[in-house]
Amino acid sequence: MKLLSSSERRYFEERLRAQYGVENGFSEYVLIKAGQGRVRAATLEAFEVAARLRRVQQVGLYVAKLVKGDVILSIEGSQLLNGKIRKNVIELSEPEAEGWMRASPIEKPIKPGIRYVVAKCEELYLGSGRASRDGRIYPQVAKWRRISEE
Amino acid sequence: MSDDLKSYLNRLPDLEMAMLLEAYEKPLPEGFRANTLKSSEERILERLRRRGYEFRKIPWARYGYVLAGGENLGKTIEHMLGLIYLQGPVSMAPAEVLDPRPGELVLDLCASPGSKATQIAQLLEGRGVVVANDISYERLKALTSNLQRFGVLNCVVTLADGRKYPRFAWELFDKVLVDAPCSSLGIVSRDWGIARSWSTRLVERLSSLQKQLILAGFDCLKPGGVLVYSTCTLTVEENELVVDWLLKMRDSARLVDFSLPGLKRRSGLTEFGDFKLDEELRKTARIMPYDNWAEGFYIAKIAKEG
Repeated sequence: MKLLSSSERRYFEERLRAQYGVENGFSEYVLIKAGQGRVRAATLEAFEVAARLRRVQQVGLYVAKLVKGDVILSIEGSQLLNGKIRKNVIELSEPEAEGWMRASPIEKPIKPGIRYVVAKCEELYLGSGRASRDGRIYPQVAKWRRISEE
Repeated sequence: MSDDLKSYLNRLPDLEMAMLLEAYEKPLPEGFRANTLKSSEERILERLRRRGYEFRKIPWARYGYVLAGGENLGKTIEHMLGLIYLQGPVSMAPAEVLDPRPGELVLDLCASPGSKATQIAQLLEGRGVVVANDISYERLKALTSNLQRFGVLNCVVTLADGRKYPRFAWELFDKVLVDAPCSSLGIVSRDWGIARSWSTRLVERLSSLQKQLILAGFDCLKPGGVLVYSTCTLTVEENELVVDWLLKMRDSARLVDFSLPGLKRRSGLTEFGDFKLDEELRKTARIMPYDNWAEGFYIAKIAKEG
């Protein structure tokens, strides 16, 4: 269980700023490396308690994944940044949000060159989606979080 | 139901068999908690009302509701986003009795699938830490998923044999919940297989495990701390006898009274067959499935003097 080094944290914050206009994102939390570019956030106290225990499997929340320099926010990651995300947000209606949670691609006008956006429905953030060249946005919702079709 | 089980249940002095069988035939009520770590209670309830759901407040559980109308909540966006947590209404009682306060360090020793760990996290309001442990890697998946969906930042998940926890966490925690694995006679209506596979040997084996778990949980408590022991079963061997054993093994263990407004319950037994138990066990609560037409439970609250 390792914290992001100061340079890794700086890079992560820079990418958050560039992609989503987030200033001081996750500043009140420690950020932990979780393998395959995944980043977890936790309170300092939780991290300190974990350091005292044995057989620790995980601490805090999975908030984002760094893929080739792009930050993909998890649902909880985007919810934690609530109010700090100022760029590349798409607003969804309630039916669109349900479709998002089924991982159905949706069509929304996106500026060229943008690779990831964050979806929002009313006050709720729903994590990142990948903007494809075919003009669709593909929600990055983990399989276990999806609303089943049945 | 096996003859063995019928004969055992008939020996319980406070059990009405016809009522129990009626309760077993009924589906358990669907309960949920509004997740105040993610949104305000009123906003969440308003969203559900808009979708046509009807619900009643559960008087003994903060943020707890029982569904009175509407389809399966498990398929809603509110569930998938972690705005609500589906949990049986009586299952919310142990964490309420534990009453975690913001800033405390709390251990949930047998935490999967995470209903009570997420409830503890909610009551901590983001301050303090909940340590959620389980012995099974398979069950840990459900636990970690539920903590993620619920948005718990101040949590640590460990994979360890709860019986060995004091080796590295001696007197570390302000509060400990031991919601022990049990023979589950309080939730038979969810799965009749529970009644079919019940045996006295199973109960003996579980009772021995529960005694070790309650002792381990107690040893992880700071002096002045509070432990809650709970099961969703009705057998004395898994309930009063386990707590009685702790009282005998640890001089600093004291049973504490507690209230659960609106929840029908009865006092713990102090006599059963050849067993004469500590009179203080009256302070513990037995909850039959037909008491509230919901899950059956046993709850004991124990303080560590010092």
